[in-house]
Amino acid sequence: MGSPRATELRRLTLTAARNGYVSFYLAVKEPRPGPYSLAVSFNSGATSIQSELFKAWYHQFRPRRTYVPDALIPVLNPAKGQLPDPDNRVPDQSCQTFWVDLWVPPDLPPGLHRGRAVAEARGKKVVLEIQVTVLQATIPDEDALTIDHNSYGTGWMGPLYPKLSRSEGEGFYSSDALFKLIHAYHRLFYEHRGTFHQLGYGHGGKVGPEFAPVLTGEGRKRHIASWDLFDRHYAPLLDGSAFRDTRRGPRPIPFVYLPINPEWPASFLNWGEPGYETEFVTVLGEMEKHFRETGWTATNFEMFFNHKKRYKGFHWDGDETRFAKDDEPMLEYSRLLKKALPPGSPVQFVFRHDASWRLEQQFQSLAGAVNFWVCSRAILGWLPEELKTVKQRGDIVWIYSGAPSISSTASAIIENPLRAWMWNVDGYIHWLAVSPSEDPWFDSGGEETCLVYPGERFGIAGPIPSIRLKVQRNFAQDLALLKILEHTGSGAILRQELARRINGSKLEDWWTPRPAMADLPSEEWTNYEIEGGVEPNLHVFQNWAPQFWEGIRRYILDLAEGDKKQ
Amino acid sequence: MTKTFWLVFLASACMGASALQAAQPTKESLSRDLEEVARVARLMVDGDVCERIMTPRALEKMFANDPRDRWAGSDNFDVNHAPYVQIKKTLMRLARLLPYPVDCNLWMPFKDRPGKIQILVRNKHEMSQFWTWGVLFQEQTAEMAEVLASERPKTVAQKGDWVSVLTPVSNSLGDIVGLVEVVSRLEVNWQKYVK
Repeated sequence: MGSPRATELRRLTLTAARNGYVSFYLAVKEPRPGPYSLAVSFNSGATSIQSELFKAWYHQFRPRRTYVPDALIPVLNPAKGQLPDPDNRVPDQSCQTFWVDLWVPPDLPPGLHRGRAVAEARGKKVVLEIQVTVLQATIPDEDALTIDHNSYGTGWMGPLYPKLSRSEGEGFYSSDALFKLIHAYHRLFYEHRGTFHQLGYGHGGKVGPEFAPVLTGEGRKRHIASWDLFDRHYAPLLDGSAFRDTRRGPRPIPFVYLPINPEWPASFLNWGEPGYETEFVTVLGEMEKHFRETGWTATNFEMFFNHKKRYKGFHWDGDETRFAKDDEPMLEYSRLLKKALPPGSPVQFVFRHDASWRLEQQFQSLAGAVNFWVCSRAILGWLPEELKTVKQRGDIVWIYSGAPSISSTASAIIENPLRAWMWNVDGYIHWLAVSPSEDPWFDSGGEETCLVYPGERFGIAGPIPSIRLKVQRNFAQDLALLKILEHTGSGAILRQELARRINGSKLEDWWTPRPAMADLPSEEWTNYEIEGGVEPNLHVFQNWAPQFWEGIRRYILDLAEGDKKQ
Repeated sequence: MTKTFWLVFLASACMGASALQAAQPTKESLSRDLEEVARVARLMVDGDVCERIMTPRALEKMFANDPRDRWAGSDNFDVNHAPYVQIKKTLMRLARLLPYPVDCNLWMPFKDRPGKIQILVRNKHEMSQFWTWGVLFQEQTAEMAEVLASERPKTVAQKGDWVSVLTPVSNSLGDIVGLVEVVSRLEVNWQKYVK
């Protein structure tokens, strides 16, 4: 990554903007078994490039019975290892790869910075000279696009961290260890220019105690009795202190799910009766007051309904609504939320809806109620004009999909965020990003629901990153640079030019012609019609080479540097 | 009038809850409590209303076998709001007869699919001893088939700390049209199925 140009493996030249990472992949090869070491260093000084090493794990990839690197284990620098790696157990392994992150501080003087990588094995030393041209351009702290990583509850954390959960015993799910672990996930995604969501309730309305304040009483007497667990979970995230020791610095999380569902904070037993409204409005009012008084005003608190009637908990679909009659409860919840919040509150509550089948209709039927749309990329693909209208009224719009398999081409991870940027929406969400295969190390199914891995196997009480996450982060840095350029020029022209450089396409090629079925009621659609109709267009940039983005990055860096010099 | 009846009824039923009197509930005390709730459910759950929950279209699509669209059954799943809400509220009230977490789930067999059954209404603790999480319908267990045939309730307590009482639901013709599973366990897992 980062425009590498190696000459007989003796020199690597890179170009980097400041306040960001530039990365490369380094292989230590030694045909004979034995120990080795690897060190990456730069001229030391008050301000200098900082290097971090990550050892790649080779996953046994079940479908193809082969080995694929993805998980990245943070290691000391210098790193010491053994070939073959006794833990990874790759037969006859003679090569170990490392992901190298170079952090370029924001106050580093522009110009040429020199470093070197030194590998040693069997008394032999190999030196790779590293030259980094640091530009004047600085990557902004603000992201151009929210890249979100979704998850559900905390029940998965105990099984992924058996030592940690065992050490806490039955109290694990209310322990400081749990909250530290949750914060570690947030930190890892934040450091990789992403965000993290954890939904705190189930399809039947069961709320995990760590996601909600404790309620007491019924009807008029329903109130919040305790904020203890909620505040231990969320306070460091909502005031930003959980990120104090990161390179990006402390900052409140931009989005968070609330535990609101048809069974919380009002009991569904009273649905449609005055008691339901009283319970809902009272508790939401108390939440607003708590958030306001603690100064948690930088986060979007999401009222979001995830339940689907197919899971038999409630009578309407809160997620991916397909039937028109299911809009009615959502309009009612919008009314209740508005009633609960005092006018002019500085606390930001948003009504989020994840929409697919009825997206086009709901852009109208739920206008003024829903103001945060997480859209099926396939269906939004034929609604460019409708999207403009929704954006003009100030709504937040994201698209959703999943992560590519570890066996996909390295650049596949940027496909969806790139599409989101091309469409000028506000974010992209990986619908599940923390759920590895049952045995991701020796029997991986592809890790399409996992971009970070549990680090406990390697003695780390938190998640570790992946190659895909690193590639995505470096791409997000490029988008952030593009955001500066958007301020000084036309965003549409910039996108048009990028489309041309990517594969000779036009911006309109990134949208899908409206299929005939779109004029039928969505109840008559089938999944294969949706997918069959739009997939060819979704992959307008199919067959791109793994390194295709390097040329685009070079162009962005040149643009950013030119812009800086103007 | 109806509400008065409920209050009296709730009070008398709760007084009989043996778990209230026991410091440490056991599977035996749990069984006794749940059997009492099931006895009330047998009377209170209206089978005619249960039969009106599913939309005919969703019932038809549920068994569609389209290799090109494996989600067709799920994506077309739909219910009529009013009967669903009515039955769910009844089940919620029944669960409240006991002072600890209990779920009352409605199970409905299919008239033209012998041996198959679906869970149709679940509740907030997400407990069931029989539901395979996420499936639209499944095979009846031997216990379910027995209750549907014998028209008598059955307590099922073989699995771990779970106790379920299955009780039949009848309509105005006297036909058995479904089952209520009254279920609890000694240790509620608050994290499971938060997904």
